[in-house]
Amino acid sequence: MEKALGQYISKYADLTDEDLNLIRTRIVVREFSKRQLLIDAGEHEQYLNLLVKGVLRKYFYKGREEVITHLAKEGDLICASVSFFSGQPSQYAIEALEPVTVYSISRENLEELYGLSPRIARIARLVITNLYLDKERWEQDHIQYDIRQRFVNFVHNNADLIQRVPQKYIASYLNIKPETFSRLKHLLKKAPLLATLS
Amino acid sequence: MQHQEKNTYWNLLHDFLRRFIDLSEEEFIEWKPYFELRHVNKKKILVHKGEVEDYVNIVAQGLVRKYLKVKKGDVTLQIAPEGHMVHSEISFHLRKPSEVIVETIEPTWLISISYQNLQALYNRFPLAEKLGRLFATEMFIIKDKRFFEILKKSTREIFLDYMKTHPQMLQRVPQKYIASYLNIKPETFSRLKHLLKKKV
Repeated sequence: MEKALGQYISKYADLTDEDLNLIRTRIVVREFSKRQLLIDAGEHEQYLNLLVKGVLRKYFYKGREEVITHLAKEGDLICASVSFFSGQPSQYAIEALEPVTVYSISRENLEELYGLSPRIARIARLVITNLYLDKERWEQDHIQYDIRQRFVNFVHNNADLIQRVPQKYIASYLNIKPETFSRLKHLLKKAPLLATLS
Repeated sequence: MQHQEKNTYWNLLHDFLRRFIDLSEEEFIEWKPYFELRHVNKKKILVHKGEVEDYVNIVAQGLVRKYLKVKKGDVTLQIAPEGHMVHSEISFHLRKPSEVIVETIEPTWLISISYQNLQALYNRFPLAEKLGRLFATEMFIIKDKRFFEILKKSTREIFLDYMKTHPQMLQRVPQKYIASYLNIKPETFSRLKHLLKKKV
């Protein structure tokens, strides 16, 4: 467990063995089967999760349509974060697309850690700052790049997800109509980089 | 500038910080030298595209907008009045050239802290860590709300909600900036404004 934890956290800063131990003793390992929900819309998020195995999708309902806002893979931090931090009911649901293992920590335990280690408190600040920069980046990407470019960027950065996630979910995540998605896929078949799509 | 006004701005900073943490008058006096007051004329660019953002700013007086330049024109990402924070966030935190441009709309007083001073503050006061964490959490929740609005709400809802929560903006901000911020075409914006008048 320390290895997966250490790998994720070392993106931000170095923790001591003692820090990792403090975290480890406050973590719950949770497993979910394919299609199982980690949380449904309307529920309160209890955990912040580090995804160590599997793929998850996070989505909300726009009428009856599901709009996907996050496709998470190993190493990603995922939860109904606004609900987790604000205590409000979640507007999002999270579903396992494969059998999933997550390391989860409750808000109470997380808050306790801030007091126990200044290094953990610092990493928490950096992780949360990154969550907010991701939102900013999402908005800027939608303004700066057209559908085609967003598609290419996604494929470039997530070659593995293309094989693991149903196409309709990727189309929803990219905010692209399914028919447009198929057309783009057809166009890009020629490019060697994108051969995994065909 | 009058001594009185300066004090008002520093009080505004103290109030801003106290929204997140318990900071006594004595502690605030120790924190103050890390911040600076900056005056900027109207329509002055604070951060150009390609520059690395050096500051976090809180608007003490005035109005600032943040926008992207794209082929079809400027797209406004934020219009910040008094009490709001504005800067090129991604550039500031990741120390990368800025994609966005930050520019004043009115003559503006900013309460600012430089990247270097902010790191020094974090290193010296554990309470600053907590401030940074809680502040980032609030920003994340605000950004998620906007993200949600873009994907979920109708144009009409977006317009009416904004006018309700920002009643003074129509008088202070050129309409085209608000329309751009709300991602509404100027002609649609005018039509919606007409509807609003009838209601009032």
